[in-house]
Order: sequence, then structure tokens, then C-alpha cells
Amino acid sequence: MTMNAVHNGSHLDSIVGEDPGIPFALLDEESKREIRRALLHAVCVPGYQVPFGSREMPVARGWGSGGLQITLAIVGKTDIVKVIDQGDDEGVNAVNLRRLVVTSTGIEESTEVVESTIIQSRHRIPEDEMINSHTLVLQVPVPEPLRGVERDMRELARMHSEADYSRMWVSLYEDKVRNGVITQTTGYPCLVNGRYVVATTPIPRWDIPRLHDSQFLTLFGAGREKRVYAIPPYTLVEPLTFEDVPFEVEQANGAQCRLCSSSESFLVESPGTNGDAGTWTCSDTAWCRARRIK
Amino acid sequence: MSTAIATKPILDVRDLTKSFVLHNIDGRTVTGLHNVSFTVEPGQHLALAGTSGAGKSTLLRAIYRTYAPSSGEVWFRLSDDSVVNLAQISDPEIVALRGRQIGYVSQFLRAQPRRSVLDLVIRAGVSRGMNVVDARELGILSLRRLNIGEQLWDVHTSVLSGGEKQRVNIAAGLISPPRLLLLDEPVSALDPENRESAIQLISELTHQGVAVLAVFHDLDAIARLATQIVVMQKGRIINNGPVDQILPQLHPGDVQP
Amino acid sequence: MSKIVIPDSVLKVSGLGKIYGPITDGAIERTGSQVGTARDHQTGSIVAAWDVNFEVAAGEALGIVGESGSGKSTVLRCIAGDIDSSVGDVRLSTFENGEANLLTLDAATRRKMRIDQLSVVYQDPAEGLSLGVTAGGNIADPLTAAGWRNFEGIRVRARDLLQRTEVPLDRMDDIVRSFSGGMRQRVQIARALANNPRLVLLDEPTTGLDASVAAGVLDLIRGLLEEFELAAIVVSHDFSVIEMLTERCIVMHHGRVVENALTDQLLEDPHHPYSQKLVSAARA
Repeated sequence: MTMNAVHNGSHLDSIVGEDPGIPFALLDEESKREIRRALLHAVCVPGYQVPFGSREMPVARGWGSGGLQITLAIVGKTDIVKVIDQGDDEGVNAVNLRRLVVTSTGIEESTEVVESTIIQSRHRIPEDEMINSHTLVLQVPVPEPLRGVERDMRELARMHSEADYSRMWVSLYEDKVRNGVITQTTGYPCLVNGRYVVATTPIPRWDIPRLHDSQFLTLFGAGREKRVYAIPPYTLVEPLTFEDVPFEVEQANGAQCRLCSSSESFLVESPGTNGDAGTWTCSDTAWCRARRIK
Repeated sequence: MSTAIATKPILDVRDLTKSFVLHNIDGRTVTGLHNVSFTVEPGQHLALAGTSGAGKSTLLRAIYRTYAPSSGEVWFRLSDDSVVNLAQISDPEIVALRGRQIGYVSQFLRAQPRRSVLDLVIRAGVSRGMNVVDARELGILSLRRLNIGEQLWDVHTSVLSGGEKQRVNIAAGLISPPRLLLLDEPVSALDPENRESAIQLISELTHQGVAVLAVFHDLDAIARLATQIVVMQKGRIINNGPVDQILPQLHPGDVQP
Repeated sequence: MSKIVIPDSVLKVSGLGKIYGPITDGAIERTGSQVGTARDHQTGSIVAAWDVNFEVAAGEALGIVGESGSGKSTVLRCIAGDIDSSVGDVRLSTFENGEANLLTLDAATRRKMRIDQLSVVYQDPAEGLSLGVTAGGNIADPLTAAGWRNFEGIRVRARDLLQRTEVPLDRMDDIVRSFSGGMRQRVQIARALANNPRLVLLDEPTTGLDASVAAGVLDLIRGLLEEFELAAIVVSHDFSVIEMLTERCIVMHHGRVVENALTDQLLEDPHHPYSQKLVSAARA
């Protein structure tokens, strides 16, 4: 019934708090409570994947339904939400998700990190400093870091429970042997709190150091796979790498953002036309805009 | 038990009997040794004589426990002067004694095929308590004496000829010799010249106080090496005495393999 | 008491048994070598192994011989923990000071124990190796499980092990699936030795290999057992393997140990009717 209301194109902001059939933040209280319980579990055991009863959402699974459910479960009336996709507040998916959160809660939205309290993202951690008043919600397509080395669910559960990550190490070893470097770029596996390996899916290596000993809470949600996990503030996060093969973030080799001339942010390349060299721009559009105004 | 051995022989065999029960051939029993008794003292070289099937090799094997004795006792004096009954001690104890205190040199070299000649000899010495440097020095010396040239030292034993294998076997068996040495036709495949060198080496054992129990298939070797002769027939000892007393009674046919 | 110094045993197996189906006294009585079957017709239980006792010392290899179905591989797999045993007590002197019964370890502890205490070399290399992973990666697996985190260190160790097991170093970065059977077996042995285990269990290590290849692998195993002072159990139906690798052995028949002997004694003077049949068949 709730879904119908959305699809019928009703003005959600007008019905929030009026129609008893559509609760605050879309989900009924029981569902939100169940998700919050899973999140508390996840925060208590950093990096451990907690199963939860992923709900049908008005976005397709795989399009951020896990992150969305977390945001809806934790959002309060005084929160301010920022949603980005590939670092861009105006990405189609970001706009849709943000509109859904805002209209179903009536809370404020923002593109500024400093103003926001909940930041939902898929591919990036914003460049701006984030502090303990922030909660980062990451949408996760594949929450299982060991998926590449093992398919059997029971064996995967065993490997995590025994912290038996040798096959992960073997895959890193094989990667280095075959390619001379460890080629994994996004979703680099990290050991959280010295115990569980997580998929930091799919943020770039560039953002990995931001997760370590951070002031903010990071919550990961995978709607399709029905898992949530968390990195609480001030938690040890170590990218898996050999002692003599240092973990390195992506380098654009002296490239600068063609809009704000930044060389200290995560840059993405747009291919050039007619064989010209490509151009680089900041992945975080809000950060880029702020720099240009300054 | 040690009081029972007055003359302190290294080997004191008493009433040793060995029979084989052939379960799969109507359960019949074949007896290889009947109440065999004799002693071997340090520095004695006891040659076993007798025709084929007399039980000479059976006796060596029963002492070495390749055959499990059926009854009787095989007292062996250890280096610490205590005695043990080889017929009774446990398999791991036998394994511990083999090669170290009791040597067995057969006519065939049984070694890891890809072990080099010199390595094999050195290891034999080391297993009897020599250090590697001494074992190497002594090993080289006896290989030279047995006419195994330097070009063969680092080849695998599997590529050697029958005669070469036999000489390497002697070199390994005699380096830092164990207290008791069982020789089962160790020079059978050697040409006269090499046989001469081998016999020379074996003869030196008696001066080193080793107790030797040997089977040869020629009277010449017995005459030159033995201090005692035990004559066997159908699994029993029929004569036993000093070499000068027994040898004149023997015919070449009495020692045929 | 004799004064013969024998090495302390590393492995002690007492009263080991594995029964598929209901365990009853009757099932034990109605099976075994004398009865001529391991299957109890009354209960349908299969007494795969019963009342198995032996010890193995450092630097010593113990053989287990018998035809297929005699229970020899069952014993080996029970010790390794690949299958759960029904009864028994198995202790490794180097693990928990010999105070832990390996048979009752929980799965996680057993896995940890197998990282550096006990290795198995299986007849089928696919059981002991990841065929889609390189030779070096297969060795990196137990090393990283034991906490190795230095890439070059792992490479050096893998190279050393492959060299000792006579795998050409230019194949180190090839996936094992591209290797011949004999070469796969060498990689499996290298992997088994990665963390210097005290006990190695070899289950028909050369069965299925060409004779000349098998001879080379046997040579290798023999040398490594000596060099690393390993305690080993060698399960084989092939007397030449047992003769080459072991000093002592046990003979199994319908789940029971029928003879326990020095290896040369078993071959020259077997006592039990079944052992005699087995030896004369091998000689023929």
C-alpha cells in the first residue's frame, strides 16, 4: 500500500504525519527497530556481517536499497541528509534516494558535509573532513570479501569465524605474482579491529585511509545480500597487504582538476575526443564547487 | 642375567630355534634352526660353514631379527656392557641397534638409489657416532682401498655395477664398525684383485675388537679370516672350534652357497 | 630394563576405531580378520577400523599395509581429522604437550593444529592442492595461515621448498593444473612441509604415478623424512613403497591390525596367515 502511494505520484511531503498508513521514514517501526538492532550488533562486532531481513524498497535491489534501509532506520527528525553517487550529489540515483528520504521524513537535505549528519554514498567518502557528528552510510553490492575465493556459504562462515583468511592472502599473492602489483582497486579488503576482513565496496583505495581511526561511524548495507556491517569511530582498519608491498592509493600522476586545479583530491578522467588526452575532474562535485567559489 | 655370561662374549646364542608356519601351504611347519647355541667374543671372527640349506643365512637373519626367533635366547652385549636378548626386545629397540651396534652386510647393497656413494659411506659412519669430517676422511680411505675411484664418489649407487655395489656396501658396513658385524657372502661378486682388498679390510676388524659372524662360499676366505668355525647341517650346529682344528676337516663342497 | 636408547614417540595412537552405523559389542564380535568381513550382517554396521594401537617416533616412518578396504586409509584420515573417528585417543607430543586428544578437538583447533603440526599428502593431488593456483601460491597458503606476511619471504621459502622437492623453479608461477601427476605430487609434498610439521601422513603417495616417476617421488620422500627428522605414517598397498620408506609397519585386514612387525621381518618372515598371503601375492 505504501508503495502504491509512491508510485501513484502522491505528494509524500503532504501525507507524512497525516496518513497513518505511511509511517515516518517509510518503514514501519518494527522494521526500523529490527534494522537498528542489526546495526547495534554490527557496531559491537566491528566488521562482522550481520544478517537482517531486507525489505522490499521502492528502489531495485542493487540500487542502494541496503544503504537506504539503514538511513531510513536511523534517521531522526533533526537529521540533515546528503546523498552522493560517484561523489556527485546530482547523480540520478543520488537524487532519487535523497528525494525518497526527504519526502518520507520531512527532514532537511544538503550537499555540504559540514551541514549534514547522515551521508549516504555508494562509491566515495566525501573529501571534506568528517567528524563524530557524521554517520556515513555506504551502499554495498557485494558484502562478502571472500566471495572471490570461496562460494560455499557455510565455508565462508567458517573462514570468518576462525579468522582463516589465508586464501585471501593467497589471492593477493597470486595477483602480485601475475601482475607485479596488487591490482585490486575498488573494494579493497581491509582487516577491521584486527579481527574481521571486510569488503570496502566499492570505494576507491584513495578513501581507504579515511576509514582508519575515523571520528565518524560508517555503516555498510547490502540490500540484496541482506547484510549490514559497521566500522565504529576510532577503529583500526588495515588494508590487507604484505609487509614489503606497501598499500598505495591511486595517483593521477600530477594531473589537476580542470575545473578547480586541485591535485589533492580523487580525480576521475574523462576520455578526450579525437585522440586528445583525457581531462581530469574532481570526483567530489560539492568539494570542487566550494574550491572554485573560494 | 649378566652373571650368566662369564667370558663376556658380545654375542651369546642359546638354544635358538626358528620355525616357519606356512599358513597358506596346509599350515605346515618348516624348521630352519634347531637349538643353536654358540658365542662370539670381541675380536673373534666366527665363520659359518655348511652346505646350502644348512641354515647359515637363517641364523644371521634370526640374530638380526629379519626372522623372528621362535624360541631360545640371543644375548647381545651393548657398548655400556649391559646385555639384552635380541629375541625379546621391542621392534623400536631393534631399529635403534641396527646399523649402530649390529651391522649386517649382505651380498646386495640396499640403499636409497639416488644417494651418492661417498654420502652413503659418510652417513654410515655418522650413524655410528663419527663426526662428518672424520667419516669423510675414513670413508674416502676405505673407498680408495676398495678401488672405488674418485670419479664414482658422487654418482648414485643405483648406477654402479654389481661388484662396485658390493665394495661400496663393504666400505659403508665397515666404517667405524659396529660391535657385532654379520657378513652374508659380502665378497661373492668380486674379481680376485678386489676380493683381495676386501678381505684385507675385513681381516682388520678382528684387531679392532669387532665380533664378526660371517658366511663365505669359499674356503680360502674362511682360512684367511676366521678365528673360529661353526659347521652347520640341517639347521643344527654339528661342529664348533678354532679354525686350525676345524678347517682341515672341511671340503670346498661344505661351504657352497 | 635394557639400556637401549630409543627416540621418544611423537605420535601415540590408542584404541582407535571407526564404525559406520550402530556401535555394538556384537558388531565388533561379528566382524574382523577372522570372520572375514568388516560388515556386521546383523546391524549393517561397517567396522572400518577397530582397536588400532601404535606409536611413531621422530625420524621414523611407520607403514600401514593392507588391501583396499582394509581400513588403512580410514586410520590415517581419522588421525588427520578428515573423518571423525568413533573411539580412540591420538596424541602428538609436540601439540599441547601431548595432553590433547586430537580426535576430540573442535574443528577450529584441529585446523590450527594442522597448520604446523601435521600435514597430509594425499594420493590425489587435487585433494591437497588448489589446482587453479600457482605452485608458489599453494605454498603461500599454509605460510600465510601460519602468519607469514612478507611477500619476498614467502617467495624465498616457496622457492626453497620447490627446489628441495625438485620442482623446476621456472614453473613456480604456473598454475598447478598445468603440471604432470608426478610434479603435482612434488608440489603437494612441498606444501606439506611448508611449516615444518612434526608428523606427515602419506596416503598412497605414489599410487597412480608411472613407475619411474613414482621411484623419483619415493626417493624424494625418503630423503626428506631423514633430513627433517619427521615422524611419518605411510599408507600403501605396495610393498616396495613400504620397504623403501619404513622400518616398521602394521598390517590391516577387515579393519583390524593383524600384524605389527619390522618391515624386513614382515617381508621375509610374515606370521599372520593374511600377511603371508599378502606377501606371497606381492612376490608373485
